Amino acid sequence: MEEVVCRTEDLQPGEMMESRFGKHEIVVCRASDGHYYAFLNRCIHQGAPLSKGKLCGAPEPTDNLGEYKFERDGDILRCPWHGREFDIRNKGCMLANEKFKIKNFKVMEKNDEVIVYK
Amino acid sequence: MTNPKLHLIDTDIHERVQYSQLLPYLPQPYRRYIEDCSWIQEKHMPFTQPAVAGVDRADAVVPDGRPAGSDLPFMQSQLLDEIGHEFGILTGALDPSPSSMHGWYEMATALASAYNDWQIEHWLEKDERLYGSVHIAAQDPQGAVKEIERVGSHKKMVQILLPIDDKLWGDPYYHPIFEAAEKHDLMIGMHHNEPPVHYGKWPRYFIEWHTLIPVAHMTMVTNMVFNGVFEKFPKLKMMMIEGGFTYVPFLMRKMDQQYRDLRHEVPWIKRMPSDIIRKHICFTTQPLEEMTKKEFLQTFEHMGTDEIVSFSTDYPHWDYDSPYEALPKGLDEGLQRKLFSENARNFYPKLPQLKEEE
Ligand code: FES
Repeated sequence: MEEVVCRTEDLQPGEMMESRFGKHEIVVCRASDGHYYAFLNRCIHQGAPLSKGKLCGAPEPTDNLGEYKFERDGDILRCPWHGREFDIRNKGCMLANEKFKIKNFKVMEKNDEVIVYK
Repeated sequence: MTNPKLHLIDTDIHERVQYSQLLPYLPQPYRRYIEDCSWIQEKHMPFTQPAVAGVDRADAVVPDGRPAGSDLPFMQSQLLDEIGHEFGILTGALDPSPSSMHGWYEMATALASAYNDWQIEHWLEKDERLYGSVHIAAQDPQGAVKEIERVGSHKKMVQILLPIDDKLWGDPYYHPIFEAAEKHDLMIGMHHNEPPVHYGKWPRYFIEWHTLIPVAHMTMVTNMVFNGVFEKFPKLKMMMIEGGFTYVPFLMRKMDQQYRDLRHEVPWIKRMPSDIIRKHICFTTQPLEEMTKKEFLQTFEHMGTDEIVSFSTDYPHWDYDSPYEALPKGLDEGLQRKLFSENARNFYPKLPQLKEEE
């Protein structure tokens, strides 16, 4: 099964939008590298709509107390409710605990279209 | 619209006022200080960053840009209709929080009245599911009692709101407030404002402060119980809002043990503190820690009851709990009914009781 979920020009790097894939509500994100990623639009914690959150960066883990190195701007999807951070370029893994991840879908680009497929 | 399965009575919903909306309800000269001098209440919290939209759910900002919680129709569609609330208890945004003001008690008292009038007109009388909290300026107990006399008998006012902040309300100085509450079948709702839980100061990080908010709640429960408020006002009950409940087993045990040793200092206390808590205090669930069903049930076992905990969403704040997602899966229906509605219904005497056929 494959489905066009948006056009490539619909999103600039660092932007996201809601779409559908079959019966699933999904969020399509365009990362800082220009690539597209798609996830179920539902946070694994309490089900918030992720598309209402923020595609932003995150302070990198550091050994130095008090140091904020804000990196990966546009690659981290933060939930609109409790703010958990998910790395869209790493299968949607949660930064605080990589064992957990939001559900991701396979994505390809073809002729100006973003396609999600199974 | 009510979800018949849930019958949810949500014990913590924050409606938000904008200062300009209070102007029609404020007499001069107070109105002038807001209009001409841009008066706003002093706030201390050095953090605005907890979540992606500050302290609110990012999706709860009103579509036209007004702050989360400030628009009834939007709250209806996003919360009350969506979830299927039976009732919701409004607890204010604590801005303004008249009882937290450090000076100018006259302004605080005037603000409390204006807030109550605004709340009644724009929320309580506009949606039958919503019930309200009487705002007072408790640092002036006589003024507070006057305000309770003025609006406390409104049929949709179910409690008096006191902030957990830097004053300990169990002090006999404030007892006239509890006397007036009891007279009007109003309970006490205690919700933290900006409690200084770090030795009177702020810690470096929000995460430290937010982790320890239950400490401020424990301080207040201990204070209210040992200052004899519930011995003196036997009909009075207190809802501890937004501190969670998992600290309660510890506190009950600790207070009981202290009482056995130190009863002589507080001879007006004639019951075990844990019995007083079970009879007079209820705790709202949010913000729930993630627990297994077993851990969750153990907490009730240690409290000796499952009838003093009541579900709350804390809408529209960032740490909102979803009634469908926040509790451990597989709780039996009886317990769910208690948490979602029965316990709150038994707590607030002014909430309508279930009709026979339900
Ligand atoms: S629902 Fe997403 S972090 Fe809680």
